[in-house]
Amino acid sequence: MPISAQRNEGTVPIFAQRKWDCPTPGRSLAFQIIPDLLAAALLVAAVLASSLLAPTEKTMGDAQRILYVHVAVAWCGLAGFLTMAGAGLLYLLRRDLAWDHWAQAAAEIAWLCCGLTLVTGSFWARAAWNTWWTWEPRLAATAILWAVSSGYLIVRSGVEDPHRRARTGAVLALVGAADVPLVIMATRWFRGIHPVSPQMDPAMRFVLLLSIVAFSAFFGLLLVRRRGQLRLERLLGALEREADG
Amino acid sequence: MAAQLWWIVHKDLVSECRAWRVWPAMLLFGLVVAFVFGLQSDLPPDQRPQIVGGLLWLAIFFAGMQAVDHSCAAEREEGCWDGLLLYPIGPAAIYLAKLGVNLIALAALECLLIPIFAALADVPLMGNPGAMLLVALLGNVGICAVGTLLSGLVAGVRHAGSLLVLIVLPLVIPVVLAAAEATRLAAEGQLGPEWWRWVHLLATFAAIFVTAGATLFDFVIRD
Repeated sequence: MPISAQRNEGTVPIFAQRKWDCPTPGRSLAFQIIPDLLAAALLVAAVLASSLLAPTEKTMGDAQRILYVHVAVAWCGLAGFLTMAGAGLLYLLRRDLAWDHWAQAAAEIAWLCCGLTLVTGSFWARAAWNTWWTWEPRLAATAILWAVSSGYLIVRSGVEDPHRRARTGAVLALVGAADVPLVIMATRWFRGIHPVSPQMDPAMRFVLLLSIVAFSAFFGLLLVRRRGQLRLERLLGALEREADG
Repeated sequence: MAAQLWWIVHKDLVSECRAWRVWPAMLLFGLVVAFVFGLQSDLPPDQRPQIVGGLLWLAIFFAGMQAVDHSCAAEREEGCWDGLLLYPIGPAAIYLAKLGVNLIALAALECLLIPIFAALADVPLMGNPGAMLLVALLGNVGICAVGTLLSGLVAGVRHAGSLLVLIVLPLVIPVVLAAAEATRLAAEGQLGPEWWRWVHLLATFAAIFVTAGATLFDFVIRD
């Protein structure tokens, strides 16, 4: 007897809902490993380029190299947040738990990246402004995003029913997304001390771009892998329920 | 529409006035927080306006969350959600009615807290009553719009009360900061462009969150 999803998937066997939901015996090992190798190569290239290729900044010295990680993880955090909100919206429109898996995976990535942004930003602040933290609007807004993603993950963990959990997360993500424009516009609305699009040496700009691409690829891969893990968890739960009768 | 909103507002107010389940606790909590903050703010007179706005709005937020949490939790706990959904009105109207009840609760709280903070800190918070009224109104709308939506969302979840504060506070930090700054400037009599900038921020957040709340409440209340 085929195992079926409980709600809007009807009687379609759970392993055959979509082509990308099918088990993967047909995929070759190379197909699964190539993205990992590419992401790893990009990350190594970015680290080497930021250490060896990028010129040393005159005022801050080597501490300026934090920038290449800081900007990249900040971008990934924002992208994760927007992905979380987008997937939440799609869940609300289609009531398909696959979108909720994307939203949860993106929320975890966003939480990690916002945390890394705050830590690297703190090191930058110590080197540039001689303080670990200052209540500058963009720092505060990033801390708010981190707190929102933390709350999102905690609230989700308190809800048992998958569809109610998905709905709760989706609404929270959409409301939280209202804070993203604040992050982007913070330094334009207020006179903060956070630099906005500073003039950079072309080599620095290239390394920064490489770093953003490398971290985006790495976190994109993490997102896909984590989403796959969540899908397998759900399938395993369905199998266990079926086995229990 | 207005009459339909009034049905729910009236129902909630009558329910509260008969049982006094939340408002006394909220007002008492606000008083205690005010006295605790008052004990800690032993600063020179010229520095007090710098902190009194922030302390006032933190007290309003934490005390007000009790009423906001109760607004939807009570319906869930007493099994009234289904009855509420049978009303011949849309989810947005239910949301706006719950928002209205929470705004009344916060206004009552502020009628108590603003004079007390003004007296304890010896800062003329009501020196510009019109400006203070505008800041209070926009700040209340910003806090209650998010709080009402999310209280409906977490009602029935384990540890809903503490979770609500946890998820609402990060979202309304910009509102609390803007309200605190606008309150400070109003108390200092500086109603220039800087004060208007904070008021614009408050109005923007209030508009965004009320729109989001009225749009998303349908997904919150229907299982």
